[in-house]
Amino acid sequence: MSPVVILALAVLGASAPAAAQEAYPSRPITIVAPFPPGGVADLHARPLAAAMEKVLKNPVGVVNKSGAAGAVGMSFVANSRPDGYTLLLALSSISIIPEADKLFGRPPAFTVDQFVPLALLSADPTILVVRTESPWKTAREFIEDARRRPGQISYSSSGIYGTLHMAMELLSHAADIKLRHLPTAGAGPAINAILGGHVDALASGPAAVIAHIEAGKLRPLASWGDRRHPALPDVPTFKELGYPGAEFYIWAGVFAPRGTPAPVVERLEVALREAVNDPDFKAAMDKLKTPIVFKQGEEFRKFFEADARRLAEGVRRVGRIEEKK
Amino acid sequence: MADTLANLWVGFSVALAPSVLLYAFVGCLIGTVVGVLPGVGPLAGISLLLPATFGLDATRAIVMLAGIYYGAMYGGSTTSILMRIPGEAASVMTCIDGYAMARRGRAGPALTIAAVGSYVAGTASVVALMVLAPPLASFALRFGPPEYFALLVLGLLVLAYMSSGSMLKAVAMALLGLLAGMVGIDQMSGYFRFAYGVVELGDGIGVVPAAVGLFGLSEVLLTAGQAAPPEVIKPRLRELLPSRREWRESAAPIGRGTVLGFLIGIIPGSAHIISSFVSYAVERRLSRRPEEFGRGAVAGVAGPESANNAATSGAFVPMLALGVPSGPIPAVMLAAMMVHGVSPGPLLIRQQPELFWGFIASMYVGNLVLLVLNLPLVGLFVNLLRVPYPLLYPAIVMFSVLGVYSVNGSVVDVWIMLVTGVVGYLLRKFGFETAPIVLGLVLAPMIEMALRQSLAMSDGRYSIFLVRPIAATLLGVALVLTLLSLRSLMTRALDWRARLALAEKGEPL
Amino acid sequence: MLTTDRLAGGALGLLALAVMFESRRLPLGTLTKPGPAYLPVVLAALLLLSGLALVVLGGRAPRPAALGWEEGRHTAAIVAAVAVVALLLERLGYRLTMAAMLLVLVGMVERRGWVVTALFAAALALGSFFLFDTVLRVPLPRGPLGF
Repeated sequence: MSPVVILALAVLGASAPAAAQEAYPSRPITIVAPFPPGGVADLHARPLAAAMEKVLKNPVGVVNKSGAAGAVGMSFVANSRPDGYTLLLALSSISIIPEADKLFGRPPAFTVDQFVPLALLSADPTILVVRTESPWKTAREFIEDARRRPGQISYSSSGIYGTLHMAMELLSHAADIKLRHLPTAGAGPAINAILGGHVDALASGPAAVIAHIEAGKLRPLASWGDRRHPALPDVPTFKELGYPGAEFYIWAGVFAPRGTPAPVVERLEVALREAVNDPDFKAAMDKLKTPIVFKQGEEFRKFFEADARRLAEGVRRVGRIEEKK
Repeated sequence: MADTLANLWVGFSVALAPSVLLYAFVGCLIGTVVGVLPGVGPLAGISLLLPATFGLDATRAIVMLAGIYYGAMYGGSTTSILMRIPGEAASVMTCIDGYAMARRGRAGPALTIAAVGSYVAGTASVVALMVLAPPLASFALRFGPPEYFALLVLGLLVLAYMSSGSMLKAVAMALLGLLAGMVGIDQMSGYFRFAYGVVELGDGIGVVPAAVGLFGLSEVLLTAGQAAPPEVIKPRLRELLPSRREWRESAAPIGRGTVLGFLIGIIPGSAHIISSFVSYAVERRLSRRPEEFGRGAVAGVAGPESANNAATSGAFVPMLALGVPSGPIPAVMLAAMMVHGVSPGPLLIRQQPELFWGFIASMYVGNLVLLVLNLPLVGLFVNLLRVPYPLLYPAIVMFSVLGVYSVNGSVVDVWIMLVTGVVGYLLRKFGFETAPIVLGLVLAPMIEMALRQSLAMSDGRYSIFLVRPIAATLLGVALVLTLLSLRSLMTRALDWRARLALAEKGEPL
Repeated sequence: MLTTDRLAGGALGLLALAVMFESRRLPLGTLTKPGPAYLPVVLAALLLLSGLALVVLGGRAPRPAALGWEEGRHTAAIVAAVAVVALLLERLGYRLTMAAMLLVLVGMVERRGWVVTALFAAALALGSFFLFDTVLRVPLPRGPLGF
């Protein structure tokens, strides 16, 4: 090789590690939203990116990497370089997917410990809704009817082992009832199914159904939250009704790949804390009717682990449906 | 009625406000560019530009996004006709006769008919949307899994009218496509099928990369190395507009395509992709010269293109009237509305009349803008054909890879395009058609899911299909059509062999 | 006598058998509760039948050699080029990979003049990158040198 080339390579080689020691951040940061555009992940990621850009004074962009109910995007971040430039905006399904993989004996697309939790952004409890024409006026009536007629009352979900399915599963276990499950291709088709009268009930994120509740098409019976939802003050929680095991949130949180250096993690945590208080971000979340629930560090870790444990048990209980007859 | 007109007047005053008009225009322009790129379809286009709309108010944002949607549909026909590359999955049928017309020097007329047909369909269906949205939406919601299944079975029968060669070969290709559609996560049980650890295959073999491969790349592979470059009769300027005969031949297909596309489009779900397939089959069945199909039949372009656009408007019916997402694109539009603080729902029309009527009015305006935009562009696009082929095809390959990659940022999609390209090349060399493969690929996951959902709903009883009126009717129609075509198959069995021989000697489709 | 139809039919039949073999690990389910393997097996069986029919009826089709494969060299080159692009796209970055592909296809396969080729390749690669990455804000891969 000519001496010029060798010199050039040497210079490049020398400058590479130097680049790694530059102050963080020095390059655009990418937040990966593992769902198709327009979904819950997106609606959190984009305002967050805008707010973080202001705080860090560094470009922050959002990339959609959708597929396999989020597995594609999540495993992409799990395997990317832990340098703080690739982050993940995950939903509660992050705990479900590795469990489902284990259930089927597949090598997992990723594992939960491949991530460092940075912050929780929101935790929307799911709401149980039925059509206004249905005979059940309260959650209690619904549960009693389900006990009398096991397997007759149907509900739709966004897909097997999906968030909406798991919510119902937790309720079924806590209340000792058996419902008939109709998986659909996503949250949208799940709502279509109940509106069209093809199923009797649905566990849904509040933002998607509040408009229908206000229009009088759907009736909310109970919520899977810790507290009553601010937009639905008359709707009791399952906890109040005596089923504390039925607690489920569709939460959104930011994660970084494991191995991201501690100073970078700290910088990001601080940035997130500030970004969440940004007025534009707050306004965006308001418009989505999603209350900001911000947790970090130990608090988030505890929340996350409790949630993951509940979901793992739920997935194991559902088991592989082919084995049940 | 007077009420509607009054509201529409308000809507127009909103839509024609210069700033709103500007956004509609920008949306249409971007949409056209996005649509022309192979593989990048309306969904990709809208998703790309969703963040750019965050700073705008709700009406402008929705108007711009809708413009992108329409623009992409218009633009998609351009690459289909000029280079046989589907701009998005729904343009696949236009590739067949549109490209054949281009090869005969009728690229200009093809593009014009596609544009005009799209305009007529788009405008007419917006009128229907405006007048009939709420009752249509309620009807559409009654389409549950059993009805969906019946409709898709009907769509599968379309296959019988898609092939101009051997029926056996078409069936084999459809089966191949159906099987390919089985790859991915089984949504009813959670098993990964035939994915072999490639996470990106979890959602199956993408229709877009497969369509670009089977149609576009295979075309390049077939023609790039041929000693004589594909003889494209370069059209002269005078020949950019359709002849009177071509106009006459396109009138009825445009009408039928509009109605058909709209009705299929209002059904929640992704059935609207099959609108162009169904229109093609209907046109072929009703044509007095069915042997023209595949060789440049005007109806084969006019029908599917109109159906496409009508389905686009149809998809907005459930979205606007009830606030339910009827497919991935309306879902993004709903999200855009939510981001701007508009709660989509049944009360949208009442609570946000400005948004609703402004949106409707902007659809009229958008269609007109696109027509005006596309017609002069026909001349420009047709000149692309003058670029020497050895320079053109590498550019086509590059844009195909770019388009397919940029949708998901995934190299797996590029590999899918390559593999389907090679498979398509071999199949076409051996005299098989690739359109049924795309149909199978699109339909398989939907049919399977609809069937299993129906059985889940009914606890395993097949009677659910007969008990529900819409499903039973559709299945009945399907049965009648099958019997009819079987009968005509038998009466034409004698000269079928002769057709087979002819089709095999003819140009590869 | 090997004809195109027979070759195709045979290939399809083999594919069908492979699918059925691969499906054995998935639960079949029943007619009233079809499992993940149900429809694939049914479709594969139908495909096998079609493949057999093609083999049996395919006597009149032309032989593969008679089809004329003059474009084969070009075809192989294009396929190879796209494969290399797929492998290198995320490693070397978009602009380098595409420019290289265009150089190879236009310069080596089509044998156009080097100046024209270089200009063409640079213009298209850089232009399309600009359109997507900058104008449409769709991130395209950048190589290790940030290019």
